[in-house]
Amino acid sequence: MRIGLPLIVARGASKGSTLLAIGLICIVFLPVIPGLVRMGFDFFQISHWFAIWQDTQTIPALMATLSSTLISGVLALALSLSIAIEKYPSNAWHSIVKRLPSLLAMPHAAFAIGFAFLFAPAGWLARAIAPLMAWDSPPDWLTVQDPYGMSLGIALAIKESFFLLWVMMNLLGERHIAQQITVARSLGYQRQQIWRSIILPQILPRMMWPFAAVLAYSLSVVDMALILGPTTPPTFAVLVWQWLSDPDPQRQAQGGVAALILLLVLLTLGGVLRGVAWVYQRATVDLDGLRQPNRFSMLSWLYQFGVLISFSLMILLFVWSLAQSWFFPALWPDELSIKAWLNADFTPFKTSLWLGLATSLIALVMVLIWLEWGPQRNNAWLYAPLVLPVIPLSAAQYFALLVLHLDGTVMGLIWSHLLWVVPYVLLSLVGAYRQFDPRLMLTAQALGYPRWQACLYMKWPLLMRPILGAFALGFAVSIAQYVPTLFAGAGRFSTVTTEAIALSSGGNRRTMAIQAVLLMLLPMLAFALAAIASHWQAKHRRGLR
Amino acid sequence: MNQLLPILMAFSLSATVMANTDWNKIEADAKGQTVYFNAWGGGENINAYIDWAATQTQKKYGVSVKHVKVTDTSDVIKRIKTEVAAGRTTNGSVDVLWVNGENFKALKQAKLLYGPWAESLPNWRFVDLNKPVRVDFSEPTDGLEMPWGTAQLTFIANQATVKNPPRSAQALLAFAKANAGQVSYPKPPDFHGTTFLKQLLLELAPDAKVLQQALSPELFTKASAPLWAYLDQLHPVLWRKGSSFPKSAADMNQMLADGQLKLALTFNPNEAANLIATQQLPKTAYSFGFSKGTIGNVHFLAIPSNAKAKAGAQVFANFLLSPEAQAKKADLKIWGDPSVLALDKIPAQYRQSMQMTAPGALNEKIPTLAEPHSSWVAAIEAEWLKRYGAK
Repeated sequence: MRIGLPLIVARGASKGSTLLAIGLICIVFLPVIPGLVRMGFDFFQISHWFAIWQDTQTIPALMATLSSTLISGVLALALSLSIAIEKYPSNAWHSIVKRLPSLLAMPHAAFAIGFAFLFAPAGWLARAIAPLMAWDSPPDWLTVQDPYGMSLGIALAIKESFFLLWVMMNLLGERHIAQQITVARSLGYQRQQIWRSIILPQILPRMMWPFAAVLAYSLSVVDMALILGPTTPPTFAVLVWQWLSDPDPQRQAQGGVAALILLLVLLTLGGVLRGVAWVYQRATVDLDGLRQPNRFSMLSWLYQFGVLISFSLMILLFVWSLAQSWFFPALWPDELSIKAWLNADFTPFKTSLWLGLATSLIALVMVLIWLEWGPQRNNAWLYAPLVLPVIPLSAAQYFALLVLHLDGTVMGLIWSHLLWVVPYVLLSLVGAYRQFDPRLMLTAQALGYPRWQACLYMKWPLLMRPILGAFALGFAVSIAQYVPTLFAGAGRFSTVTTEAIALSSGGNRRTMAIQAVLLMLLPMLAFALAAIASHWQAKHRRGLR
Repeated sequence: MNQLLPILMAFSLSATVMANTDWNKIEADAKGQTVYFNAWGGGENINAYIDWAATQTQKKYGVSVKHVKVTDTSDVIKRIKTEVAAGRTTNGSVDVLWVNGENFKALKQAKLLYGPWAESLPNWRFVDLNKPVRVDFSEPTDGLEMPWGTAQLTFIANQATVKNPPRSAQALLAFAKANAGQVSYPKPPDFHGTTFLKQLLLELAPDAKVLQQALSPELFTKASAPLWAYLDQLHPVLWRKGSSFPKSAADMNQMLADGQLKLALTFNPNEAANLIATQQLPKTAYSFGFSKGTIGNVHFLAIPSNAKAKAGAQVFANFLLSPEAQAKKADLKIWGDPSVLALDKIPAQYRQSMQMTAPGALNEKIPTLAEPHSSWVAAIEAEWLKRYGAK
C-alpha cells in the first residue's frame, strides 16, 4: 500500500502537464549547452593551451586557487564537525543552531568586505592593538590579499562552515540518530567515541555533495577573491574572468578554455574526495568495547571564534556606514552621522529587490510545477549548477543571450539567475514536498477536485512554511549573484552586490559600507518576512503550528 | 570677385542655417530616447554629477539618460565588438561612452565609431582649441569624439608626514628607498597605474620624442630599457615589496589617509581638495607635480556606430559641453574636473567656478607632457605583466 499510493496519484498527471513541467525547466537549462559546446571546441585547440601555459600568471594563480580552495574546504569541514561533535546533543547545540540562519543569510560579498574592514592592515584589529605597539601607521601585514590565497581561504572557510553545519543539523535531526546516541551513551561510551564509530560513518557519506558544492564555490568565487584574494597574479577564477572579458577574441577563447580547466580541477578534486571517502570507510572502527575518554578539542573553539568574527564584522559594516572621518589609528570614528545614508544611491537596492522577487517567484512556480507534475526520479542533474564552477556556466549563458539579442535585458538577466535559483529552491523544498501525505491529495481528488485545484486550495497552503522558506532562499541566492549579473546584464544593471564590489576597488569606504549593509539586510529581511508570514498563516490552524 | 562675395556670404549663411535645422532635427529625434551612458562609476562625486546632468537633460530635452557604471572601459569596448561581431550593427547596448587613448584608437581602427559629429555640436564654439582637444594620445580625433574634460597626473601627499615631496623620477626612487614599504602605485592595467609607468617612461627614455611615434619592437626595447631598470630598483622598496599593489588610485587615497602610503596619485588636480571636503583625506593633504612636468590629457565622449539612440547621445553630449554643465563640473564642491572650454568664449557668470581653487588642490603651475602614442600602452602593460605580474 505504501508503494502503491504515490503511483495512483502520479497516474493522475496528464501528459500535457508533465511536458509543461519539463519544458519550463528546459528553458532554464538547455540554452547553456551550445555555449559549453563552443568552449569545448576551443578546448581542443593547442594554441589556446599554449597561450595559457605561456602566461606567467597561470601557475601562481592556479596555486593560489588550489590553496584557498583546500583551506576553505578542509577547514570548513573541520570547524563544523568539531563543533557538532563537541555540542550535539546538548542545550548548547540549540543555541548554536539558532544563530545559523542570520550567519547563512549574510552574502559572501558583504562578508568579504567586513572581513577586510576587520583584518586589513588599516583594519579594526590593527587599530585595536596599535596603542600597545605604538604604531602611527598601519603594520605591514599580509592579512588580506596575501599571495597564497590564505586569507581568502580562511574567510571562505568560516562562511562555509555555517553552511556545512546547517547541512549536518538537518541530517542529525533524523530520529534514528538521536536514538542511537541514547543507546550508545547508556552503554557508557563517551561523546567523541560515539561520533567516531556511529554517527560520522552515517552522515559523512551523505555530506559528500554539500562538500563538493563548497569546493566548487571556493574554486570559482570571483567576488570574494576580488576583495580578499591575491592580486599579482589574482586567483585563477579571477584570471579566467579577466580573460573572458578581454576585448581580444583570442583571449576570450583562451578564457573559455581556462574556464573548462577550472571544471577539470574540480573533477580532479572530486576524484580525490572519492578516494579519501573510500579509505575512510575502510578505516572506521566499530565500538570495540573500550570506553575512551573525550579529548580536548581546540577546533570547536575556533568555530565559536568564527561566529564571533562574523557578528563583529556585521557590526563593523554598520559603523563604517555611519562614520565621518575615520583614519588610522582611530579606534572609533570622529563623528557618526546618517548624512551618507541620506545621500546614498538606492538604485542598486531597488534593482536587487525587483530582480530577486521576480527571479524567486518564477523559480518557485517552476519548481512547484516540476515537483507536482514533473518526473519523480532521476532529478539529480537539476542540482548540477550547485556543484559546478560558476564561470563556465555563466560564460555559456552569455553566449546564448548574445545570439538571441537578449543580453542586457531584464528577461535575460532573470533567466541567467534562474540557473542557480531554481536548484536551490528545489533543494530546499523537495524534502517537505515528497513527505506530504499522499492520502490527502487522493481524498481531494476523490471528492472531484481537479489536481491543480487540490494543489491550489489544499496542498500548497498546507506546505506554506517550506514554500515561503524556499522563496526566501531563492531571493537570497539571486541577490548574491555577481558574475551572472555582470555577464547577462551587460553591465547595465547594478545590484547591491555588483555595486559593493565595484566600490571595493577603492573610493569611499562609507559608501561601500552602505551598499554592504544593504546587501546584508536584503536576504535577512526576506527570511524574517517568510518566517513572519508563515507564522501568521499558521496562527489559526493548529495542525500547521 | 566683388560679385562673388555676397554669394559666398549667402552660402556660408545658409550653411549656418542648415546646421541649425540639422540640429533642430536631431533634438526632435532625440525626444523620448533613452541614452545608455557607459562611464567609469568608481567616483561618488562623478556619479552624482552625471546624475545631475541626466536630470537636466531629461528636463530640458526630454532625453532620458541612464548611467551604466563601468569598472573598466575595455569591458565596454569588448561588448561593442562582440555585439557587432554577432551581427548587431544597430540597436547596440552602448549609446555614449567615456573614453580616451588606446580604447578610442581600438574603436576608431575597427571603424566602430559613429561620426564625425563632435565639431558640429552647437556648443563646440565654446571649446578652447589651444588645448589638445583634437588629438587623443597622438591619434587625430577626426570629430569622432567630443572633449569632455582635461586631466593632469598629480601626486598627493600629507604635510604631516612629507614636507619635501619628490619632484622627479629619480627623486621618487630616493624617496621610496628612504621610506621603504610606503610607496606604491596601482597595478597596471589600471588606468592610473599605466599612466604612472608612462610618466616614468617619458622621463627615463633616452629620447622621449620616439614615444610620439607608432610602436615598433626595436623602438620599444630601446626606449623602455631604462624604465625596467628603474622598476627593478623601485619594486623591492615598494609597499609589500611589490608583491601586491593598491587596487586603484582611489584605494591609494584611503591608504594615504590611513598613513599606510606616503604618496597617492590622481589624474584630477582638484581631487585632493574634493576629498578633504568630504572628509576622506586629512586636512593636511596637498597636491604636487614633477618639476619637469607630468602627463596631461583630455578625456572624451564617443558614440559607437551601432548605438541605438544616436540623436539622444548627441543632445546629451552637447549639454555636457555647455558652459553651464562644464562650470558645474569644474566646481570643486561638485567634481572639480577642469573644463575644456575657453574662458574668453563663455558668458562671464560661468567663469568663476572654472578658476576656483581650494586647500589641497594643485596650486602650482606644472608643465603638461603629451601622452605617448597610444600604441605604446598595450606593449608597456604586457611587458609589465610579464616581468612583475606574477611575483
